[in-house]
Amino acid sequence: MITVTINGKEVRLEKPITIFEAAEMHGIKIPHFCYHPLLEKWGGCRMCLVEVEKMPKLQTSCTLYVTDGMVVKTESEEISKARKAMLEFLLINHPLDCPFCDKAGECDLQNSTTLYGASAGRFEEGKRRHPENINDPLIVRNMERCISCTRCVRMCDGVQGASAISMVNRSNKTFVEPFSGGRYNCEYCGNCLTVCPVGAIMSRLHRHAYRPWQMEEEVKTVCAYCGVGCSFVLQVRENNIVRIMPKPEVGINKGILCAKGYFGYGYIQSSKRLTSPLIKRGWKLEPTTWDEALTIVANRLTEIKKKFGGESIGGIASARCTNEDNYVFQKFVRACLGSNNIDSIVRTGFAVAQRYIEDVIGQGATANIISGIPHSEGIIVIGGDPTHINPVLGVQVREAFRRGAKVFAIGYNPGLERHRTHNISYYPFTESTLLSYLVSKLATIKELSGENKSFESKINNFKGATLKDVEKVCRINGSDLNRIIKELSSISSVSLIIGPDIVQRTDVRTNLFLLTAIAYMLNARIYLLAEKPNEQGVIDMGCLPDTLPGGRPLDIESFRKRDEELWGYEIPPKPGLTVFEMIEGANSGSLKALYIMGGNPLYNLPDNAFVKSSIQNLEFLVVQDIFLSETAEIADVVLPSLGWVEKEGTYTNLERRIQRLRKSLDRQGMEDWRILSEIGKKMGFKIQYDSSLDIMKEISTVSPLHSGLTYDDLDKGLDVWPYKGTPLRHKLGAGDWPLTKSWSPSGKEKLYLTIEKHMFLSGTMSRYSTALNSIYQEPCAKINNDVAERSGVKDGEMVTIKTEKAQIILPIKIDRNIPDFTVLLTNNFIEKGAMGLIPYKIDPITKTPAIDGCEIKILKREYE
Amino acid sequence: MERVLLKNIDNRNSADISEYEKIGGYSSLRKALGIQPKDIIEEVKKSGLRGRGGAGFPTGMKWAFAAADPKFPKYLLCNADEGEPGTFKDRPILEKNPHLLIEGMVISAYALGAEYSYIYLRGEYPSAKDILNKAISQAVKKGYLGNNILGKGFKLHLSVHQGAGAYICGEETALIESLEGFRGQPRIKPPFPVNVGAWNMPTVINNVETLSNIPYILQAGGDVYSKIGSKDCPGPKLYCISGHVKRPGVYELPMGTILREIIYTHAGGIKGGKKLKAVIPGGISTPVLPADQIDCPMDFISMSKSGSMLGSGAIIVMDESVCMVKVLYRAMKFFEHESCGKCTPCREGTGWLSSIIGRIENGKGKKEDIELLSDVAGNISGKTFCPLGDGAATVSMSMIKHFRDEFEEHIKGGCKYKILHNVIPA
Repeated sequence: MITVTINGKEVRLEKPITIFEAAEMHGIKIPHFCYHPLLEKWGGCRMCLVEVEKMPKLQTSCTLYVTDGMVVKTESEEISKARKAMLEFLLINHPLDCPFCDKAGECDLQNSTTLYGASAGRFEEGKRRHPENINDPLIVRNMERCISCTRCVRMCDGVQGASAISMVNRSNKTFVEPFSGGRYNCEYCGNCLTVCPVGAIMSRLHRHAYRPWQMEEEVKTVCAYCGVGCSFVLQVRENNIVRIMPKPEVGINKGILCAKGYFGYGYIQSSKRLTSPLIKRGWKLEPTTWDEALTIVANRLTEIKKKFGGESIGGIASARCTNEDNYVFQKFVRACLGSNNIDSIVRTGFAVAQRYIEDVIGQGATANIISGIPHSEGIIVIGGDPTHINPVLGVQVREAFRRGAKVFAIGYNPGLERHRTHNISYYPFTESTLLSYLVSKLATIKELSGENKSFESKINNFKGATLKDVEKVCRINGSDLNRIIKELSSISSVSLIIGPDIVQRTDVRTNLFLLTAIAYMLNARIYLLAEKPNEQGVIDMGCLPDTLPGGRPLDIESFRKRDEELWGYEIPPKPGLTVFEMIEGANSGSLKALYIMGGNPLYNLPDNAFVKSSIQNLEFLVVQDIFLSETAEIADVVLPSLGWVEKEGTYTNLERRIQRLRKSLDRQGMEDWRILSEIGKKMGFKIQYDSSLDIMKEISTVSPLHSGLTYDDLDKGLDVWPYKGTPLRHKLGAGDWPLTKSWSPSGKEKLYLTIEKHMFLSGTMSRYSTALNSIYQEPCAKINNDVAERSGVKDGEMVTIKTEKAQIILPIKIDRNIPDFTVLLTNNFIEKGAMGLIPYKIDPITKTPAIDGCEIKILKREYE
Repeated sequence: MERVLLKNIDNRNSADISEYEKIGGYSSLRKALGIQPKDIIEEVKKSGLRGRGGAGFPTGMKWAFAAADPKFPKYLLCNADEGEPGTFKDRPILEKNPHLLIEGMVISAYALGAEYSYIYLRGEYPSAKDILNKAISQAVKKGYLGNNILGKGFKLHLSVHQGAGAYICGEETALIESLEGFRGQPRIKPPFPVNVGAWNMPTVINNVETLSNIPYILQAGGDVYSKIGSKDCPGPKLYCISGHVKRPGVYELPMGTILREIIYTHAGGIKGGKKLKAVIPGGISTPVLPADQIDCPMDFISMSKSGSMLGSGAIIVMDESVCMVKVLYRAMKFFEHESCGKCTPCREGTGWLSSIIGRIENGKGKKEDIELLSDVAGNISGKTFCPLGDGAATVSMSMIKHFRDEFEEHIKGGCKYKILHNVIPA
């Protein structure tokens, strides 16, 4: 126990912390510039000087740790004089342009000057001149205002791990500059903006548009871009989002954001948002009234249900919608439409992986806290780059690396280039061969725990690839690999981060078995990357053809009966169709109507042409969305819904934490759930709710996982798995899906298509964000130097990218880090999506698409 | 006094290993490898050797701290970033007696248990770099460096790292940052480098001169060594004297030699029969002493008693023709240029001071400027991150204290010392 006296007040502390932190804990404020709770200590601004007894000079409170018996004064005449001096020094080269500086009103320098500063200046020479840099689309740098506190640089280097900016020059000519010069070439996480105490680094998105004291409302909410679920505060004025303010004390992200979260909010105010319902008249979609649109939907659905039965209707739920939306959606499909044909895009990755892992290890196996990653000793990353798919989770991996964890990055992980111990790259799509060797090798080293005997016997009986196979197929150096495996097997605290790519493979079942076996043998914490904000919620709410809310299997009668009683409606006993079976059903004519909530299968599923012709085959298609997506364009009725900041609700993130969205903008229209209940009403069913709160109440009675959970509980922090609920207790399975044969490349070396999941892009939302479009301006085909040389193309050259299914014209971008034999394409830009090029290939058991082995040709274009 | 550091310096080939061996070189190392590391540290403690870089920290104590830290590997760094204006005392060792330094480093590394060591060499000493590298390869060939030194199983690798010209990299933690490849800026202390230094491992950083004392201490014993020169900080000391003296140069004299004796006896007195005006006794960042205050012994304790500092022992002698405002202006330009930019008072203050002094020197000063000057210097003093800014402030304050009338004259009627006035670099 340490006892310190601060300003005459005795303070007791458990462990040594800095004087600054000790003072702050007890409500004593010390002015500062370079200190920031997220950053490494610096001690450069000299503003936080305090008097410490028995020390001859003033001491910086942010760097000096308390010792027992220390006596500290944070205010005195000498201290005031020193602070006044520091402010005078800072102001001699700082322009007095507060009247048009965006930071005025919340500027640390301005605030401190009013507290301690001199009334007049004594500096006669001219101030330092440094023209404002506006070469970047998102960030303005005004280096005249910079006070060299280096917070931005420490943020970029030490927290984000991007190392894109640096201090340059010495003495009073010091300033901050990106290595790329005027325009940033960085991750655009915006975290440097968050920590700048003055107006030196500012966002262009709200430049000269407001004064901080003019904000009408501050709303704490959750980001809607990916499955991490970062929190921030939205500042609102005149029903507009003015800016996003991350707060270190709020949320799991602790003030860290990524490009999408920080700059990508603009889509919500896009002029391309749907404003009124549309119905198809002839070949054209025309605006109509809500009443007409809802009546048509209700009548047509009732008619089709009557004529062909409930099983002829399907519903596709959305991981972009809230838990409440998805709960009402599955209830609508099951109770009103009488169908279990309900599924979502979550099937293509997250849901299938979780199903398998939970079967073997137990429900909740993937519910691991993201902030635990930095405490791991080893991290295996496979199936996608966490810094791109879930950037803030990726930052945790980098933090772990800095703390000394060993990072085993398998596959293409550009964001971990400087934060990995081992980079294991292999011939495209041969990871199952690699993993099978890894598993059989680990099985000879590791002792099994005996927890799941049947799975263990499966591991023991598994015959993996030999080292020779691995060397031949994956093209990995065998002795290197053995050394890496040895290193991995000796680590006791392992995190396994699994990306969606590993599921979208021909050998999906083998991959899942192998990954689960690795997790089982190493006793690893599993993290499933989630591209969308509510993938877990879709599963938990029962938006699966064979699962009821709370993850209860549909085919167990007692579960079904219980829900039927609570709802007062019947639930069909037979499991329904998955999303791909629905597409196939539409193609064959067995599925007559489809209701899509917040999804764009026509763009996001493989082989666009096949999916489009199948969907066009339907008798009736309803799409509920905020934009007129490719799928909405061919719908019979399009219903506009409300966006993320326009409604209340909850998201469940990839660590199974339930977090609240809060309404901050008013917009005419209805939430997704309200539209559904209106249709239900017109169809003669009673699924009425007053508010999302009302729905949560019902969820908490229907889903055993959420039993008794209220919004108040969430606010109080009861938001982590397993809440107050009861996870499903079941006999641990052996992972019964039969293994698939490992994909192996046919003799000759070819080029393969791989989908790039870039941190600036996020499908249908980022498309409409002008900010994100300005930093990832156009689609391109990324290849490495070797591929470029073999194909005879140059950087920037327009080429035709051709697969057996389709072709598109794209410019080439050469990047030496991209794996060989690979062409990276994005799936975000209108008419330039990579999914359209991929053949339709579905695994018969997991019903996941295989996007591997898609051969691709780069054709030079003839000049006309 | 028998020369210890500059022994054999008059030999044209003194940098060659065979010449060094002829005068008994590397025999201390042989002796050292035969005794326990902790006994070497005891011997150094007994000798009373203090660091010659300027701060005067007891070397034996520093070593004991680093040796006591259980972390491995440990590093030994030699600070050869001799950048202080007026200082050139290490240069004769580096260029004429490199093996003395190398021998000192191997013994030190053995005492500490370090396996890797670096000489951080001033960027502007290109010839020293070649000489050191040649000497190192000679030492490796002879088995004084490498994986199995003198067959005793001790391993040490030594390499020369050349700085890029920043004065701040002479500060030990900035030196570490620079060595690691980062921007040269000092680190927060504590933790001190003896516990968390290069690559966050225990690290000892010693000046060239300090390390060069080690072979003699081993050979003659700590007791003998402690009887040389001043009682509290014994040993031979290199004084480098420059400016208006008849025989400028590096002199090896016992610690505590009287400043007047150094100037008038050893350096031959003032050139051209002029009168002495002022002396900067320890490099540009130490307070100036006027002509009547030079009867003090040149050691760490006596110098701080007489209102200045021993610093690096770089004596700058100025005769009556020198304009003190101009001297301060030149010094301040140096500090402004070399301020690393980390802390506010030094970054902004040195520039401000230099513009005030420049204004006075150029006849544009105002009456209030002297007050402003001392006030700004006072605002820097004691509040900076490292001693660089402090040095700038104390030099200004000492100049005003001793030569206030000269500043006042400048404000009234401009500079009267036109003889030395030529171009002032921006």
